[in-house]
Amino acid sequence: MRKSKGGGEDPSRHNGSTGRRRGDRNSEGDHDGFGSGSLQDDDNDPATRREIRSKYRDLINSVQQNREDMLSPSNNKLTEVLEEANKLFKDVRQPREAALDAQLLVVATDLGKEKASQLFAEGSSFNPAAFAVHLLSFMGLNRLENGDNEEENGEGYLPNDAWDRVARRAECCFRTAPTFHYMMGSFHAEPPPPKQRIERQRKLKKMEESHQEATEKEVERILGYLKSYYQDDPTTPISYYEFVIDPNSFSRTVENMFHASFLIRDGLARMYLDDDKLPCIAPVEEEMEGAASTSRHQCVTSISMKTWRVSQFYL
Amino acid sequence: MTQRKRLSNSQTPSQSKRRSDSLEEDDGDMPFTQPSSSQVQRGMEKFTNSQVDQKVAEVLQYILVKDQKKIPVRRADLVRNILKDYRNVYPEIIRRVVQTLDQVFGFKLVEIDTKNHLYILINKLELSEATAPLNAPSNPKMGLLFVILSVIFMKRGVVKESLIWNTLKKLRVDPGEKHALFGDVKKLVTDEFVRQRYLEFVRVPHTEPIEYEFRWGQRAEVEVSKAKILEFMGQVSD
Repeated sequence: MRKSKGGGEDPSRHNGSTGRRRGDRNSEGDHDGFGSGSLQDDDNDPATRREIRSKYRDLINSVQQNREDMLSPSNNKLTEVLEEANKLFKDVRQPREAALDAQLLVVATDLGKEKASQLFAEGSSFNPAAFAVHLLSFMGLNRLENGDNEEENGEGYLPNDAWDRVARRAECCFRTAPTFHYMMGSFHAEPPPPKQRIERQRKLKKMEESHQEATEKEVERILGYLKSYYQDDPTTPISYYEFVIDPNSFSRTVENMFHASFLIRDGLARMYLDDDKLPCIAPVEEEMEGAASTSRHQCVTSISMKTWRVSQFYL
Repeated sequence: MTQRKRLSNSQTPSQSKRRSDSLEEDDGDMPFTQPSSSQVQRGMEKFTNSQVDQKVAEVLQYILVKDQKKIPVRRADLVRNILKDYRNVYPEIIRRVVQTLDQVFGFKLVEIDTKNHLYILINKLELSEATAPLNAPSNPKMGLLFVILSVIFMKRGVVKESLIWNTLKKLRVDPGEKHALFGDVKKLVTDEFVRQRYLEFVRVPHTEPIEYEFRWGQRAEVEVSKAKILEFMGQVSD
């Protein structure tokens, strides 16, 4: 009775060797509670049932795995599978097996449909490989002069505008609507602020530099005056206020004080109190530099308009 | 586009029954169905002509910008984002849009998917080799697409993906490698061209392992002239 596969095997043996050929196919969980070798009705023998199911599964797998092979018009493998299924079906008793049979049929008919469409297509004789070779020529392939083989293989140097050539030829076949773009593009709000900031910073720096230069020049000028006064009369102390105050201009006075403070800061001049406790200013001789640098004091001098006006009377 | 607004428009019972038809709608919005002519008339009375014209202009801009990427326009998006309160005069607005596209731009608004209501723009005019502008930069992607469409066409409309990849490899375009011009070829062909509806990339049923096949997309059916493809094939094979 069971002559399909593994011919000659004792069907009542539930070793499932035929069924387990693929190993993982047997997903049933049922155990065979019956003893081996007993003469049972095939309809109820779980081993037989399992065998049938596994055979169906094998068939389904073979169709799926060897799809390409079965599609080839040169053989009748699909028909053989169907004949096989027919034989198996004679022994089908339970729904489970029938379901597998149905599944096999679905897979087989799909394949059949593809085979049929293949038949139809055979007549058109379109060879994509040949098309590709022709297309390469169209794209401007520069073939090497090594021999005839290169021509068939499509080897050679393909220029950069190869695809552009195809595209230009292709665009005539399309009714694509040209896309809409703003001519000048969109404007960006971003770039100007950073530039402004940079420019402003540059301007600031320049102004600062010019300020600094002016200050330095002024400081030097005042130092010059101080030194010349001192040289004229080294013994007489120069009153600080006499030195800085400009009787005619308050702002000038303040500037003079500002510049004089630089001299003192840089150690080019020194201030001291004379016997009357009035501040005096004198340039620092270079020999005395070492001594002066060790004793540095800070003080704040201020002047107001009132004071300045009063001083006008005295100077 | 991700806003979910509950529109307070009143809907007739017949409209709410057809809710299940439009699968593209968000859950928060009521699905759009064509208003009846009486509704349109009532709607037109609500708005001034210049208001409607303004909406027409907005719809036009929306369509033109969407067309830049060649992604089809969804009617649902149009209604939800642009029309909003003007839903009831949708037919009138679309009528004016189609007219303007036709007379001003020379475009046709075509519904390529009547179920999901997707629209694309195509050129009314046909280009020929003689009239194509010489200096206009060409898009190499169109060349690639054209090759694929030609192969599918010559194979009677359906082709296994492996055939396409093999043909492209012979043209030195390998889907596994990054191409100098096209970049990620696989993504371009299976994603971008499919989204633009130039190609269809569908799974073949009952295959193990999974196989896919290529077909012409809805946009290609409308935009591409099959006669011209045959002409090209003849030209190339000489």
